[in-house]
Amino acid sequence: MEAQADIPARQVPPKRRLRGSTALGGRSEKGIAQLLITPGQLLLLFLVGFPAGVAIYISFTDYTATTNYPWYDAYKGWIWFDNYWEALSSGGFWSAIWRTVIVTVLAVGIEFALGLILAFLFLKEFRARGIVMIVFLLPMMVVPAVAGFIFYMIFQTDGPLNAALSFFLDTVLGLTGPINIGWLSDPGIAIYSVTMADIWQWTPLMFLIFLSGLVALPEDQLNQARILGAGFWHQLRYLILPMMKPIILIALIIRTIEVFKIFDSAWLLTRGGPGDATTTISVYLYRQINENYRYGYASAAAIIVLIIVSIFAIRAIRPIEAAQEETFDELITSEEFTGGLSVEEAIAVESRV
Amino acid sequence: MEGHSTLKAFGRVTAIVLIGILFLFPLYWMITMSFKPQSEWNPIGKTIWWPQNPTLDNYKQVLGLTNQNTQFFQASSTDATQPIIHSFIAAGGGTILALVAGVLAAYGIARFRAGGKMLPFQILQLRMFPPVAIIIPLLIMLAYIHLFDTFWGLWLVYGAVTFAFVVWLMRSFFQELPREIGEAAIVDGCSQWGAFFKAVLPNVKGGLAATALFVFILNWSDFVIALVLTTDKTTTAPVFLNSLQSAAAGQEYGPQAALGLILILPPAILGLAIQRYLVRGLTFGAIKR
Repeated sequence: MEAQADIPARQVPPKRRLRGSTALGGRSEKGIAQLLITPGQLLLLFLVGFPAGVAIYISFTDYTATTNYPWYDAYKGWIWFDNYWEALSSGGFWSAIWRTVIVTVLAVGIEFALGLILAFLFLKEFRARGIVMIVFLLPMMVVPAVAGFIFYMIFQTDGPLNAALSFFLDTVLGLTGPINIGWLSDPGIAIYSVTMADIWQWTPLMFLIFLSGLVALPEDQLNQARILGAGFWHQLRYLILPMMKPIILIALIIRTIEVFKIFDSAWLLTRGGPGDATTTISVYLYRQINENYRYGYASAAAIIVLIIVSIFAIRAIRPIEAAQEETFDELITSEEFTGGLSVEEAIAVESRV
Repeated sequence: MEGHSTLKAFGRVTAIVLIGILFLFPLYWMITMSFKPQSEWNPIGKTIWWPQNPTLDNYKQVLGLTNQNTQFFQASSTDATQPIIHSFIAAGGGTILALVAGVLAAYGIARFRAGGKMLPFQILQLRMFPPVAIIIPLLIMLAYIHLFDTFWGLWLVYGAVTFAFVVWLMRSFFQELPREIGEAAIVDGCSQWGAFFKAVLPNVKGGLAATALFVFILNWSDFVIALVLTTDKTTTAPVFLNSLQSAAAGQEYGPQAALGLILILPPAILGLAIQRYLVRGLTFGAIKR
């Protein structure tokens, strides 16, 4: 658009030097680069810049939804750090964080194990594999709110889950009486029911990621290891897992991020209850907004959450970025990720253990 | 040896079938529920595993084809046609906005390192924040500029929220494209913009389509943003589903299941269409197959 016309073709430097911003004249490229990212920057300013300012401002006030002056006059109720102290010293806030951590650790851990097992089960070709795969893809595409509703039905005390358990454990095996577990009504159990819904929905993602990783493993090395007599567990521990480390890391990080935000399915399942037994941090914030209308306090609590997440985020982004920069194949075959060991050496390590 | 591997294969098939049944059952339950008449939804003391008197009434109710007086809801309606239409409009507009801003930014970042090395990180970091944590200022702001409960409000928020996905996905597609493609076009006399639109973009068609569908699925699946930022003029279908759930009178299992199935059809169809790119999408382009 700008200065392109007056750059004759012969001035284009040789290929090697095309990288970076020198290729077509730094100035115009910078201009174009800026132009390209401007719409995005405006969008982010709208989503982040302005709201961040408003949130910080409001968080220092006792502003609520029912306050009878507009938000920009919120300074009339200026209370400095009171909201922050209240959140930091509130049992409700910290138990919400703690519950979120429990759900996250359990969900991500089980999704990881189950996803890996499924990936191994699907590694070898079998008849109708493609169609069976789709069964495992479907949960991922279910709108999370709908997933919450589905499990709401299933987890009813007189619902199908208890009925099925009663059938197997009582009628068939005669081990127990009729099962009447309050999946959603028992405060000690409800949190695990919320976790189960997430596991159902997102194990498929782990499975797909790990399957793609397993398929891409260098066949030669695994065969070589087998010939050298390495059993399945040793192969898994010293070859497969180390080689898949980068993608395992990415899978764990991405699921951790997403589970930490959990809201939709949890809200439709239990609305944070019974009591606050399933009030994860997102549910906690929403209840502050929707039940207590305390915008000032909720903003302060939200800012604390954002700070906590940011601390994690800074570490979490690296592996994702690394995978973007290199191609995946380079990544898993590179020395760094097999610990610099050759197959023989890896097996030698194993025999020493 | 032979017997051993047969046993293994049998074990494998059994495991797959068992886990498959577990994963399929929730969907099975919703789908069959959507065809059950009210007396079979959740009868006391027994479980109806298969609709005894299958009916389309639930769908008729949700699609507004019958009169709305059910036993539980004398006054309120289970007609979800408006919310479904709202969902399409909101998700569609948000997707377009995210694509326009995101594709340009991704190209700028991939080719010119626009915005510096940290920009992609900052964009990704936004995805890590729980939406509820940023919703209050958005609510205040949208109300202030009179965009609360409007499509423009939803478009802007959806566009901004899924912008990160577009940037990271499209960046990975642009990076895979040889630089020479754009450069050759410039040598042939195209402007930078001409090169972008005539040479680069057509070469990432597949990726662009996958990104568009993927972002549409994300926007379509949103619940919490619409829950806070809409009331009735632009209520989306998941919010409507939630309102059926929270109605004090009781549960509308059948219509809810029918609406649930209608809601998951577009993402299921689109998701299968872009199966190849799903993992890539959900990992911000980090895992490419």
